[in-house]
Amino acid sequence: MNRTKFANLSIRSKYFRIISAMFVVVVLTAAGLLLYINSEQHKLSRERELLQNKAQTINELAVTLNDVFFRARGYTALKNENELELAYEALAKLGTVLGDYSRLKLSPEEAQFRSDLQSFSIQYGNETLPQAVAFVQKDDYEGVRALSKAGNTEKVNNFLAYTKDYKVRADQLLSDMVRQAIRQSNMFTFAAFTLSALLLVLFTLIIWRILRTLVNPIIKLEAAAHSLAAGEAVLLGELHTQDEIGRLYGAFLNMARSIQDKEEELTMQNEELHAQQDELHDQQFRLERSLSEIESMMVALNQSSAVAILSPKGIFTYVNENLAQYTGYKAEEIVGHPYRLFELRNLASVQMEEMRRKLGTGMVWSEELLMDAKDGTPLWLHTTVMPYLNDEGAIYQYILIASNITSVKKVQQELAATLTRTEETKIMLERSNQLNHDITYTLDKQEFAGRFIDFMNGQFAFDSSLFLLAEGGIVAAKGIPPEIVERYLHEEGNMLYRMQTEKSYITERPATSLEQGISPVQLTAYDYYTSVVNAEDEILAIFCGTRVGASFSAEETNEIQGLMNRVALAIDRLYMVEEIEHARKLNLDIINNVAEGIQFIELDGTMGQMNKALSQMFQYAGWKEGNRLPLAVWLEHLLGQVKESGELRNFYTQAISAAFPDSGSMKYSLDRDSLKHMDVYAIPVFRREERFGTLFVHRDITREYELDQMKSELVSTVSHELRTPLSSVLGFTELLLNRTMKPEKQQKYLQTIHREAQRLTDLINDFLDLQRMESGTQQYSPEKLNLSELVLGVIEQYKLGSTHHILYEDEAEYSGVEADRNKLIQVLTNLLSNAIKFSPGRGEIKVKLRNEPGVITVEIQDNGLGIPPDQIGQLFQKFRRVDNSAAKRIGGTGLGLAICKEIIEKQNGTIGMESAEGEGTTVWFRLPVLQPEPAGQEEELLKWSSEKEEKPSVMIVEDDYSLSLLLSEELKGKGFRVMHHYHPQQAFEQALKTPFVAIIVDLMLGEELDGWDLIRMFKHDERTADVPIVISSALDQAGQALLENVRTYLTKPYPPGELSATLQEILNTSLSSGEVLFPKDPAGQPGIDRTHNFP
Amino acid sequence: MKGENEVQKILVVDDEDILRMLIEDTLEELEDVQIHTAEHGKEALEKLAADRFDLVILDYMMPEMTGVEVLGQLDEALKAATPIMMLTAKAQDTDRIRAQEAGARYFMPKPFSPMELLQIVEDILREQN
Repeated sequence: MNRTKFANLSIRSKYFRIISAMFVVVVLTAAGLLLYINSEQHKLSRERELLQNKAQTINELAVTLNDVFFRARGYTALKNENELELAYEALAKLGTVLGDYSRLKLSPEEAQFRSDLQSFSIQYGNETLPQAVAFVQKDDYEGVRALSKAGNTEKVNNFLAYTKDYKVRADQLLSDMVRQAIRQSNMFTFAAFTLSALLLVLFTLIIWRILRTLVNPIIKLEAAAHSLAAGEAVLLGELHTQDEIGRLYGAFLNMARSIQDKEEELTMQNEELHAQQDELHDQQFRLERSLSEIESMMVALNQSSAVAILSPKGIFTYVNENLAQYTGYKAEEIVGHPYRLFELRNLASVQMEEMRRKLGTGMVWSEELLMDAKDGTPLWLHTTVMPYLNDEGAIYQYILIASNITSVKKVQQELAATLTRTEETKIMLERSNQLNHDITYTLDKQEFAGRFIDFMNGQFAFDSSLFLLAEGGIVAAKGIPPEIVERYLHEEGNMLYRMQTEKSYITERPATSLEQGISPVQLTAYDYYTSVVNAEDEILAIFCGTRVGASFSAEETNEIQGLMNRVALAIDRLYMVEEIEHARKLNLDIINNVAEGIQFIELDGTMGQMNKALSQMFQYAGWKEGNRLPLAVWLEHLLGQVKESGELRNFYTQAISAAFPDSGSMKYSLDRDSLKHMDVYAIPVFRREERFGTLFVHRDITREYELDQMKSELVSTVSHELRTPLSSVLGFTELLLNRTMKPEKQQKYLQTIHREAQRLTDLINDFLDLQRMESGTQQYSPEKLNLSELVLGVIEQYKLGSTHHILYEDEAEYSGVEADRNKLIQVLTNLLSNAIKFSPGRGEIKVKLRNEPGVITVEIQDNGLGIPPDQIGQLFQKFRRVDNSAAKRIGGTGLGLAICKEIIEKQNGTIGMESAEGEGTTVWFRLPVLQPEPAGQEEELLKWSSEKEEKPSVMIVEDDYSLSLLLSEELKGKGFRVMHHYHPQQAFEQALKTPFVAIIVDLMLGEELDGWDLIRMFKHDERTADVPIVISSALDQAGQALLENVRTYLTKPYPPGELSATLQEILNTSLSSGEVLFPKDPAGQPGIDRTHNFP
Repeated sequence: MKGENEVQKILVVDDEDILRMLIEDTLEELEDVQIHTAEHGKEALEKLAADRFDLVILDYMMPEMTGVEVLGQLDEALKAATPIMMLTAKAQDTDRIRAQEAGARYFMPKPFSPMELLQIVEDILREQN
């Protein structure tokens, strides 16, 4: 920020700042220096003054002291009182001087000296002197001497010596000071010199820098200006300063650039000018050339055509020789005359106007003109007139160019006359030709008749006509209302009658008002009747035509009769063609409707024909009848889809070759999504003992092939299935026969043999069953059955002795089916035993019945081994078993499900399964259900789907299956969902899982637990304590000791309606507190007592 | 070469319990012979990898892995060293050829005579000795 600001400053202000700063610094430094010197000198002079002062004082001290002693000695010696007085005076003075001295700044030594002196002077003044005075007074000079000896004199001498010494030292110090002052002043001088030298250097630097900043760019600018002047590129980098030079640079650069741009522009303009100049030259040259061309053309024109120039007003100003020659005038006779000299005979005034308009707008006008020559002969000129325009766009002359076309016109007119004459003949001929063509090539009879009528009307000017083909009743009519045609046709007997005796005849009659039209004269109509007869004198067709106003000439009659003979031939041919076409179409239809693919290959290998089946087999989508495909094309297309392409190619090559003996066939397969097996046989085709091609017939044998394959697989599987138990039977028998062994082992072997033999028997039975079913020899005896009953019956058989608990859940409202009872039992037994077999150990098997629209579904659900998903689909096939070790150990013939499938499908049902490996399998089948009320079916369906969830569930715990069935039927009819249990423990567990509105319990259940135990279990578990229980028992309620605990009791036998009424009541009153209900007893006493709660 | 008294080992592979029992019982007469069994192809391969056998009797038709497939997974050296007898209920020529191609030296169609099997096994074992 600061830097940019600094850089942005102008040079002037920059240097102004630098110099001002320096000036301030120099002035401050000099002032400081001066002050310093001044203070130093001042200090020095003070010190010297102090020293001088001190020395003076000490000197004064010494003088005064000396004076004191001098006076004292003087007194002592002279005993002069004045002297003593002087001595005191001197002593006082000493005191004053000492006072002065002590005011000075003293070193410790001096201070010591001062205090010594002071104490001495005091002591001297106070003691010594008065003593000496006393001694002197007493003249005791001994005393005086003793006193002086006491040291006073010595002390004084010491003082004096000190002062003297001090003086010397002070002098010494003074001279030192002077020397130091001199040295200091020297130093200051040097400093001043250095400062000025520094200043000088600084200024030099600044000036140098100024020079550099100013001069360098100026030099560069100068060079750039030179190069600019010389027209070279200005290689001047941008100066990144914003000062004056920078701006100058910028300005210069802008100037240089704009000069250069201008220069470039100028150069470009210059080049453009040059180009334009070149082009101008070029154009000039071309102009000259075309001018010369025009000139030569003019010459040619002048020689070949008539040329004239007319003024804008139409006056001839120039006429060439040719025009004069054509018109017969002399050139001079024409020039100066207006164009009207020649009267234009073939131009109407409109055309004249058109000419004037065209020429007036500057357009060229061209026309063939007929005029009279001078001698009056007609003259045809092909004339072209061009107006010439001046710069203002005004016409200044017309050029007329004309060529003489008189002779051409003459020839043309002659030709036109001839043409008109020949035209009529030509039309007649054309019609005749057309008819010939039509009767030869028209294959459609209706079309033929129509064309014939057209021809007759055109050729012989019939006003109305009718043509009737005897066979097929094909009619063509022109100019006759349809109702009249109808009448003619239905009264043809009359017409034909006369036709049989008379081949043709003409009748004459007055024209009807319709025929008369607008003609004022009464016209006559002539009707011409003729028959078309073949060689056998059979009438093939009849022609009738009416001509109004003109009879038929003998020539016309002859012509018509001749024509009829030709038509007879044509009709014969038409019938023949039709027959052939019909036969051909029939053949084609036959060929195309054959399932085999047929192709006809000519001797050179071209495929002349193939049928629809073949084109579908080999996907020849674009093939059309009549297409001929060369060998390479069709064979490669065909082989591309075939697996055994090599063999098939060989087969084709041999079969097509002339040496092919008789016939041959081969099998191949088509490579499709699913492999297709094909069989092809080839037969040579002969016509009049001469071979002219080969017929190939392809047959899809996939089904036969697969059947074959299945058959051999079946044989192999059956042999395997039979051999395994046979191995055991034979093997163990042999061991028994050949070895001696313990009886236990013998027993075991015999058991094994027995079991395996049993398995063998089952297998054979199942197999035969299935075989019978598949071959259709199995007899079914359908009857109306109740499927619920049937299922319950089968479950009943498994109930005893089974390790598995079978739970029966019946939701089906309609369970009537029409099926073979025994076969259905076989299916159910099979499925149930499978479910038991494949859920080893104990397990629950659920059998569910429910209705779905139109069907009843039976589901058998186990929690067993389950089936791997990839094998589910195969299991309904023969000898398919779940392919794993666990299932293997369980065994089975592998035919059960196949038999079930066969049976169910024969009863119009479907069968299927869902399974999860390790979790269990559900096998289901559906049969069409018999509907008791077909009218309500739709409503019922709705009911099923919507109420399925809401149906109240009821459980029946009952081991008597017929009673169970009875109750269930009743309850289902009343809209309950019924679950059956016969085992108390299972029933209890079920009750924990499912919310029931009520449970019906039979008291006599099994050996382990009876109904009472079950009721106790329910009531003691809080989860089921609230469920209402209905007891159904054969025992009279009075005979039960536990009766006090039971409030709902139905004594068997009771009508089922009673039970459902009870349950209905439970539902209606929504009992939920576990109150137990009694149904109405037969005596009609109130059966419901809600006061008693079960304990 | 093995000593006269050394125990020889046979591996019987069949998915049918009864047939395994039949073969075991048939061969139990042989002296100094140990019979091992395997219920399916996978078990057979494990046993063959772990131990050396003097004879392998292998059923052709087994669930999950057929006898031929078992042989397909054995290495060639082991197949060359071990006599293998294929037992099959599919007594068709194609099966015999397939078994041979897979490396089975002997072929026994079901149902077989236990005595005959015993005789052949004795011969093979003697040869091995």
